[in-house]
Amino acid sequence: MAGVAFVAHCLLNQNARVDGGARTAGIYSPLVEELRAHGWRIEQMPCPELAFTGLQRFWAVKEQLDTTAFRRHCRRIAQAVASAIEAHVEREDDVVLIGLEGSPSMGVCVTSSDEQLGGRPTWPEGSSELAPGRGIYIEELAAELAERGLPMPRAIGVSHQLPDHDPAAERAALAEFLEA
Amino acid sequence: MEGDERGFRVALVTAEFLNPPPDGLDALAVLEEEDWGVIQLPASDYPEDVAGQLLDQVAEQAEEFARHGYRLAIVGRHDGLADILVRHGVKTPPQLDPETAAELRAFLSTGNG
Repeated sequence: MAGVAFVAHCLLNQNARVDGGARTAGIYSPLVEELRAHGWRIEQMPCPELAFTGLQRFWAVKEQLDTTAFRRHCRRIAQAVASAIEAHVEREDDVVLIGLEGSPSMGVCVTSSDEQLGGRPTWPEGSSELAPGRGIYIEELAAELAERGLPMPRAIGVSHQLPDHDPAAERAALAEFLEA
Repeated sequence: MEGDERGFRVALVTAEFLNPPPDGLDALAVLEEEDWGVIQLPASDYPEDVAGQLLDQVAEQAEEFARHGYRLAIVGRHDGLADILVRHGVKTPPQLDPETAAELRAFLSTGNG
């Protein structure tokens, strides 16, 4: 196998997405097809939001989740995942991360941010919460790996929830990333 | 859930069925065809303490789906899974250790899964 890809939970289980966010019944097949085509072993990471705020959670931006308690929760998950990554690093496997762009937890290059959002949940028409940066879980995983002296794996985010999502461009980007 | 395409079906799947050998059963393909999502169980080649941490996460997530009435099923066998699900108050879902895609498809589609 080419290596091991640690993927965001919802890319194999769209049932974990916030209400209104599931793009498929279960599995996001474009990613799986690319991983299989390039010979990568799949390892699914837990969803930080599912077990913390549950299936009935509202859409949220990073600031709403950025509490000590949520970071502790993310760190607990990150410790489990970092231990798995460490096992692969010791075997000299190539390891990559595949997150979810736009996510307050799993964003790799794009997260969601709004310093004002709070209270009764409304999303003004035309407002965009997207912002450059990592999600909280990805930050905690990077911190956990650094504390263990492990390198942060190469990482990419699936973009299917971004407004300018281009399926063909996403497939090409995934293929290029997985071949690198 | 307007515009939401979730299937409300979640399978707890052994890592070996997600990453099958060349001549092995590709459970992921069948699960996708049948509109199931996946929670991956820890791979058998992880050290026990690593697998234990990951299995805790599996149970917490399965509990949330069970609490909301999602259909759950287990594909493959994983030591300790039934015990940890019970500890989280999750009734052990139907389980199958499939040998063929047809067997898995029938399990998932007929309500046994």
